Amino acid sequence: MRPTPSYEQRLATARLLHRFNFGPTPGQYADLLARGLETTQSAVLEHGLVDPGLDSVAPLVLANLGPFPEGNTAASTAFWNTIESDSTKLVMWWLDRMAVSRYPLTERMTWFWHGHWATSISGVSYPLTMQKQNNTLRTHALANFADMAKAMVVDGALNVWLNNNENYIQSPNENLAREFMELMTLGVNKFTQHDVTAAARALTGYSTNQSNGAVTFIPKQHFSTPLVILGTKSKLNAESFASLVVSKDENARFITDRLWFRFVSGTTVAPASLGGSFASRDISSLVSALVHSPAWTNSANALVKSPVEWFIGACRALKMRPSTLDAGDTQWVLSQMGQLPFNPPNVGGWTYGQAWLSGVSFQYRFELAQSLVAKGDLAPLSVPKSKMVQACADWLGVPDWSRRTASTLAAATGSPSELAILALLSPEYAVSA
Amino acid sequence: MINCEFDRRKFLQWTGAGLFAAMSTELSFESLASAASDSPLPANTPILVLVTLYGGNDGLNTVVPFTDPVYESARSNIALSSSQLLPFTDSLAFNSSMPSISALYGQNQVAIVQGVSYPNPSLSHFSSMAIWQSASLTGLSSGWIGRWLDTQPHNAFNAIGVGSVLPPAFVGEKSVASMVDVSGIQLPWGPAASLLPRLGHSSSSDVALEAAAATSITDLFSTASLLGPLVPTSPTGSTLGQQLSLLSTLINANVPTRVWEVNLSSFDTHTGEQLDQNALLAEVDAAIGAFMTSINTGTRANDVTVMIYSEFGRRVGSNASDGTDHGTSAPVLLIGNQVKGGLYGEQPPLDALDVNGNLQVTTDFRAVYGGLLHDVLAAPVSDIIPSWNTALSVH
Repeated sequence: MRPTPSYEQRLATARLLHRFNFGPTPGQYADLLARGLETTQSAVLEHGLVDPGLDSVAPLVLANLGPFPEGNTAASTAFWNTIESDSTKLVMWWLDRMAVSRYPLTERMTWFWHGHWATSISGVSYPLTMQKQNNTLRTHALANFADMAKAMVVDGALNVWLNNNENYIQSPNENLAREFMELMTLGVNKFTQHDVTAAARALTGYSTNQSNGAVTFIPKQHFSTPLVILGTKSKLNAESFASLVVSKDENARFITDRLWFRFVSGTTVAPASLGGSFASRDISSLVSALVHSPAWTNSANALVKSPVEWFIGACRALKMRPSTLDAGDTQWVLSQMGQLPFNPPNVGGWTYGQAWLSGVSFQYRFELAQSLVAKGDLAPLSVPKSKMVQACADWLGVPDWSRRTASTLAAATGSPSELAILALLSPEYAVSA
Repeated sequence: MINCEFDRRKFLQWTGAGLFAAMSTELSFESLASAASDSPLPANTPILVLVTLYGGNDGLNTVVPFTDPVYESARSNIALSSSQLLPFTDSLAFNSSMPSISALYGQNQVAIVQGVSYPNPSLSHFSSMAIWQSASLTGLSSGWIGRWLDTQPHNAFNAIGVGSVLPPAFVGEKSVASMVDVSGIQLPWGPAASLLPRLGHSSSSDVALEAAAATSITDLFSTASLLGPLVPTSPTGSTLGQQLSLLSTLINANVPTRVWEVNLSSFDTHTGEQLDQNALLAEVDAAIGAFMTSINTGTRANDVTVMIYSEFGRRVGSNASDGTDHGTSAPVLLIGNQVKGGLYGEQPPLDALDVNGNLQVTTDFRAVYGGLLHDVLAAPVSDIIPSWNTALSVH
């Protein structure tokens, strides 16, 4: 028989499950605690396997709705209604995938990359075009970053969002060029305005069909003269520009830092050694290095769960499929909390840390917890009252309750549903401490 | 007019005896429920309202140097025509989407600080907004209002933002501001609500973020109890109009809050700028006009100062998609009955640009903050803004 898991093991196991797998399913935390940290590390890294959870989510097929309608007619009303209902389907489809996946790392990484290549349907309009980008992010989520960058620089949604459809030789539009380097590949202050100007020229000649995201290269509209970017002079198109940028050492540091910041710590700095695991730009190697890093027992590495991460964690614990909730209400509450998928606030992506922890946000979280628990599976709390509080920690993947929360939950053992709501709202569950 | 006694009674009815008993050990409900009636913001206490325009508002099409030939030649596809201008000097005009602010300027209630940015301006939205909101060029993670909060006794009402996501300016080292939502803010009710306040207690085992999560719960109860009844449940008007309408209600109810924040996004006009920016400025103008009318006819007319700012202005030369790329300095507008209206600082010349074709910086934004810290918040400037003590006063 193994010894009782130490607090460090409880902490590390909880962090790995919450941060890489959207939180444990019922019984999973206790099971992995019994099997040890190495097993946990392997378990959270599982991906690419046949996934009966994902297979249970019906594929979402969206139609190409074509150009925006002219005028204010019955047809235009129908068009916008379809845009809205397709958009709802897309959001719920993705939330379902996150919640039911048996090996959630791919969905979790897709979610990370969505925030990284932050594109909003508010600028793109078409759910189909957003779904294409989502599938591209999923395809490359754990593959090679150089390939991802090449695919994304000619992604239709990103091109519409960052105005590359209006980037011409005669007068470049710098939006995609700048944000691609600053926010997506190199980081701020790693390039000059001259590089931006040149990069914008490298990105000319790409025309996006907004309604289906198809990008067409038009050679005669492309600036074909050699350009100097980041000190290298060469003829460049969008893909070779992306390759050039990704080949720079700054790219390894930047992507490593971004993953560290979102998965490990908002306060400590990524160790330089991590860069080595990303030398070939293989994302799965970098993620594996993070999972195997010694950071998980460092108490400084606490993170706030974003609203979607919190919501999906609760769904997984309660065996709830998000689409069984009212889709309109769910989207409304997520958007009030500041995090509706496919709607990042701007190209910088989602906020982080304490910004999520306002009283107003808590008000919506409470509403959501009530409706989730009303429909969710509370079987893990079917234990004697004296064991319920600890059972709740083991169920939700909480290393330890504070005295405050333990005593509050103890006062609620008469009602498992109230106890579950309170546990989901506790500071220990809001934060991956 | 808001009757605070009525709201207090209503509040006490809502909470019910059970909840009252559960919370009374944690919070003084009496003091919370009656904060506005028993501890209202004392008369003549200055109030600061920050209006953040996210995305980089084009200063040159907001306060327009319309007689400068470069204005027309550098941006021929987006230059405003004479019918789109409201001149207020021989060489400067408001965008005609701003009739209310123009009228307030005529009443000497608008200070325009020209050419505002900081040394070596960043063309990155995120770096630049971080610099503005932290008031630090070196990457301080706390916000300038957050650091002011750190100097105050903790009180959920000291600074309040509208929305649910805290703006970086409002996050301090030790304290954060509270938020209210235009869609309403109400005391939690229903299953588990009566035990919720206990989750807001601090615990010695909390890490900093857990402590912050606990505080947010307590802050919800305190703000919802006081402000909830004052927030209209079905707001009308534009995004910013709703936010500022809520603010005027709360300010006129003497809520004990010194700093407020509202914001509007979508100023990143890389394409089709005239249409988009004119509509956005019209929204700002209508919202500010209604807000100032409400404030100026109430008891707080002499207390309120509004600051409207963005993370940067935009390139002098327009692009071919009838928009502008990221730029540098831009005017900051300060509005209020006690503001000494007029022009401050210098308009950067349009024919002496930096290597990227951007305007020079003639005023450091920290001087504007310095003035506000001194005149509005009565705080020592250098305590809040590291290595800085210049104050540009508009009061």
